[in-house]
This record gives sequence, structure tokens and C-alpha cells, in this order.
Amino acid sequence: MKTRKSIWLAMFLLVAVLLVFGASRTGGPKTQQDRIDSITSVLACPTCSGESVFVSRAAAADSIRAEVARQVAAGLRSDEQIMSYIEQRFGGQVLLVPRATGVDSLVWALPVAALVFSMFLLVSAFVKWRGNKPTSPTSQDEQIVARALNERI
Amino acid sequence: MKSKNLVKIISTIVGIVIALFFVVLVVADPDQDIVAKSPLLGQPAPAIASETIDGEQFVLERRKGSWVVLNFFNSTCVPCINEHSLLVDFAKTEAINQNAAEIYTIINDDSSDAVREFFVKNGGDWPKVKDDNGAIAVAFGVARVPETWIIDPNGMVRLRITGELSPGLLSEQVNLLRDGFTS
Repeated sequence: MKTRKSIWLAMFLLVAVLLVFGASRTGGPKTQQDRIDSITSVLACPTCSGESVFVSRAAAADSIRAEVARQVAAGLRSDEQIMSYIEQRFGGQVLLVPRATGVDSLVWALPVAALVFSMFLLVSAFVKWRGNKPTSPTSQDEQIVARALNERI
Repeated sequence: MKSKNLVKIISTIVGIVIALFFVVLVVADPDQDIVAKSPLLGQPAPAIASETIDGEQFVLERRKGSWVVLNFFNSTCVPCINEHSLLVDFAKTEAINQNAAEIYTIINDDSSDAVREFFVKNGGDWPKVKDDNGAIAVAFGVARVPETWIIDPNGMVRLRITGELSPGLLSEQVNLLRDGFTS
């Protein structure tokens, strides 16, 4: 039993370490085109439905792509600052990935809260079911079993 | 018994929340403002510089001291064509005003030749500013044309009107802003 628990714990730790490593790993220096592509792929085309600026061929998307390219080439703003510039002009709906601040953060927090709450309900239910289960047979149970055995004989 | 009560309570709460959503949907007024929202309203106008189709330089910052009307335009867009006569009338009215508003067309995704031809045919002798890679449109957050923006003599963005203008709307809004303006 103890060994089984240790294996589960080791697996959990391994997954956690790999997740942290994967999330914090950088892909090396980016070229200007990489930056343009990564910025435009998280910006929504303001005149299309569900398309990013990166894939859209609409005139508004072309203009935003050109502006991002111009600002990346100028080298004065970080990716985050360029996205903020576009957001300030077109509003928050231009971001395909909602920010983790203000009311937008509910998009991230609510599913986690719902998951935690559901897990809590599940665990409570399991504990309750387990608690209801008799751990050892009562004398009545023993009598029933004895009767049944006698009948068989 | 206890869990049955809990289920009843949770389902009642969920039901109330859904009912409230419906009430909000039914009761809420549709947005009928003629003024479109923009984070730029009340802020300094973006610094834009370009040239007109006649080769003259256009720097928005240098227009400080005058009311400026920017009209984002494309010669193939139907609402732009529809509202053009209203802009011509507006320009004529403003021409005799002492504190006249200057009007500029910002060309959106269109060729200079097509725009020139359109203005020759339909009138309007104000400057037409090129916006070759859409930098001006992005600076103002314009995704669709037509859009009309009003900038006060201090260079602050005062009004954004999206879509086709209705008769008298632009004059009315410029006059309202002019009357309430203190530099």
C-alpha cells in the first residue's frame, strides 16, 4: 500500500516538474517575423468572425498586421506594449486570449473554481458513501448467512 | 433528506439567476447612442502624418486651433457614397462660419485615382489624405468605413460616429461641441 502511494506521488511530482519546465522554457531569440506572427495570431480581426489577424485577409486585418510589423521594425515597443496599443484602439474584444486582470480574469478563474467545487462535492459524496458502508457484518447478517448455508446443506 | 434539501436550494438559486438574465435581456435598452464608444474619446488625437492625393503634407497636430472632422472613406462603400452629399453640404455651411471646422477625407483601402474620380464626379474640394498601409485607421481603431471623427481645437478627440451619417447630424454635433467648448 505504501509503495503504491509512493509511486503515485512520484508520478505526480514528475508531471508537475515537466509542466513547470514546459511552461517556463523559452524557444530562444525570436526573429522580427516570429514576433509579428505571434502578436497577430492572438489578435482578433475586427471585421471577421473568429479569425485572427494572422490568418485573415480582410482590409482591417491587413492594416493591423502592417501596423504591428511597423512597430516591431521600429523596435521601440515590446510585444505586450504593441498588443496594448491595438487593444486601446479597437477595445478589449480584439484580444483572442482574455487578460488575467479585472472582470476578464473570471474567464480563467471560474472554470478552476467550478472544477475545485465539483471535486469537493465528489470527494464529499465518496466519503459519505464510504461512511454509510458497514465495516463488519452485524449479528443479523451473520444469522442470514448461517441460515442460507444451512439451507444449502 | 439533507442532500435533497441541498439539491432544491441549488436548483432554486440556478433558476433565479437564469430568470434574472432573462429579465435583464428583456428590460435592457438597446444601445441607440449616435456616438460610438472609443477609448480615444477625451484623449489627445493620435499623432498622424501623411500626404494628400495632391501631394500636400498632412500633419494632424498642426491643425490644432481648428475643429477638425476626419471622414474615413472608400469610394466603393455604399454608405460612404450615400453620405457624401451630406458632407458636401456640411463643408458648404462651414465655409461661411467664422470658426469653421476643417474636413479631411481619410482614404481607406482605396486608390488615389478612384478617390479623385469620385470627388470630381460628386463634389467636395477638401483634402483627401492617403492611408496606404492603414496606419491612420489603426491609430483611430477604424475597422469599417464610413466613420467620422471630430477633434477639437486643443487636439482632443471629441466624437466618433460610426456608419452612415443622417441628415443634419454632423452639423448638429459640431455646433453642440463648439457651443460648449472652452479652450
